[in-house]
Amino acid sequence: MRSRPLAAPDGAHPALRPSRANPTAPAPAVKGAASGRESEESRSGAEAGAGTAGMPEASGSARPGDVCVAPEPPLLASPERVVLHVDIDAFFAAIEQRLDPRLAGRPVIVGAGVIASCSYEARRFGLRAGMRLSEARQRCPEVVILAGHAQTYRCFAENIFGLCRTFSPAVETYLDEAYCDLTGTARLHGDALGAAARLKREILGATGLTVTCGVGPNRMLAKLIGKTVKPDGLAEIAASEAEEFLTSRAVDQLAGVGHAHARTLRSMNVHTIGEMRALPADVLAALFGAPGRLLYERCRGRDTAPVHEREIPVSISRETSFHRDTAERAEIDGMLEYLASRACRTMRELGVVARTVAVRLRYSDNEGAERERTLPAADDADPAVIEAARALLGALFTRRVALHAVGLVLSNFVPAGATQGALFEEREAGRRAALYRAFDRVRGAYGHGVLVSGRALHLKGRLEEDAHGFRLRTPSLTK
Amino acid sequence: MRSELLDEAVTVRADFQGGVVTPLAFRRRGREHRVVRVNARWIDRVPRHPHFFFSVTDESGDTYQLQLQGGDLLWWLDAVMLET
Repeated sequence: MRSRPLAAPDGAHPALRPSRANPTAPAPAVKGAASGRESEESRSGAEAGAGTAGMPEASGSARPGDVCVAPEPPLLASPERVVLHVDIDAFFAAIEQRLDPRLAGRPVIVGAGVIASCSYEARRFGLRAGMRLSEARQRCPEVVILAGHAQTYRCFAENIFGLCRTFSPAVETYLDEAYCDLTGTARLHGDALGAAARLKREILGATGLTVTCGVGPNRMLAKLIGKTVKPDGLAEIAASEAEEFLTSRAVDQLAGVGHAHARTLRSMNVHTIGEMRALPADVLAALFGAPGRLLYERCRGRDTAPVHEREIPVSISRETSFHRDTAERAEIDGMLEYLASRACRTMRELGVVARTVAVRLRYSDNEGAERERTLPAADDADPAVIEAARALLGALFTRRVALHAVGLVLSNFVPAGATQGALFEEREAGRRAALYRAFDRVRGAYGHGVLVSGRALHLKGRLEEDAHGFRLRTPSLTK
Repeated sequence: MRSELLDEAVTVRADFQGGVVTPLAFRRRGREHRVVRVNARWIDRVPRHPHFFFSVTDESGDTYQLQLQGGDLLWWLDAVMLET
């Protein structure tokens, strides 16, 4: 069965126009046909594998020399799970258009240096995220370029994710998208598509923003089907539709296949996800390492990754570009210390401690540099992180070129309290933790800029401040 | 289009009916600006007391950002959006 881009259910908001069908999607398959295809798939996979990678040993009644293929699990994702993917359309640009009605209908981009987000009006001129602003101006001279309001975007996102949580017990959030696990909520919310339509209406009513919703049997399919109906779309795909839906899609649409993997696959004349299925798991593992086995499953529509609130983030990063490129060491040190203290505060709020600190630099000639260091012991206090960051900066900042941007990344987290404390410094560690908890409370109440220490004091009076701290040129927050 | 920071405490006439705050007019430099449209509203819940933000358009067509601080119930005129 093809992806089922559906018209909005009865009572849907007018904004929920009927989802556009995927033009390349084949006609619905007859129920049961999938298993026939699957055995064919298995055979072709075996043939492909027989000549390349070693196949499993023949067993049972198989004759020596026969190729025996272990029965593959059904080519379909588990039918029980229901995952809703919510993607905010042209997030930053859409908010800017809400904030100032004069921007409605005009091409708007948000970014500094490169495009971070562009409205659909701007996309008609070929503008895309990641494109340089100079190129954007050439392509669309009337484009409105805005530096952006990171804190405002965060507030809107939290509002939307809060609405998602009223529909789902498990919501996994990112900057402008969320996965909601609707499994087992049918008696509460009705069918998933209806629930998604209601969620869209509520988000539109509360924020004035449109979102695209995809409903599927797993995260990957929910996101992919949503992509076919952007913007302001709503579509559902059933487990039985997965195979045909994926077959004709380009390999780079598969989650986990980036530019480099797609290039490798294309060099092997593998252009579509269907063609990718001919590659045995061993071959994909040899090509891409451990993720290769994951791709083997995903190209068959199988994705068992759960939806869960990320209690422990992969990384916490704080980055910004300078208001003007600088080689002044005091300014660079001050900014790095400030970013480190912001990241440490976030780390403490999440109740985790980091083992690894990394510093990223971007020179004015666009050259980048990054280096990381493992801390002697996992820590969440500012001094340990700042000391490591300063050492990394000293080792990294070696060129006689001004810096355009600086960033700090904390990673390799463990829950706070899960690390072994020092035997003789327990009292001191407790006092220090209490001190930083007190700092965080003060900063929470009066803004981060009210308490800055060390070299970050250099920024006082040089940068504007608001309730959140210094106003950075291009603050970038990543969980 | 750019926003110019103002960061001024202002007097605001607002409607609090139904548990929803809606600014109706604000006074700046002796002149009353009547709010003809609330373009967007959002809440920052990170501070200890929430901050309520409003993007409003006055009768002259200018767009401003107002903020009500939940703790002390002070109104601030954060910024004005300017055509460049």
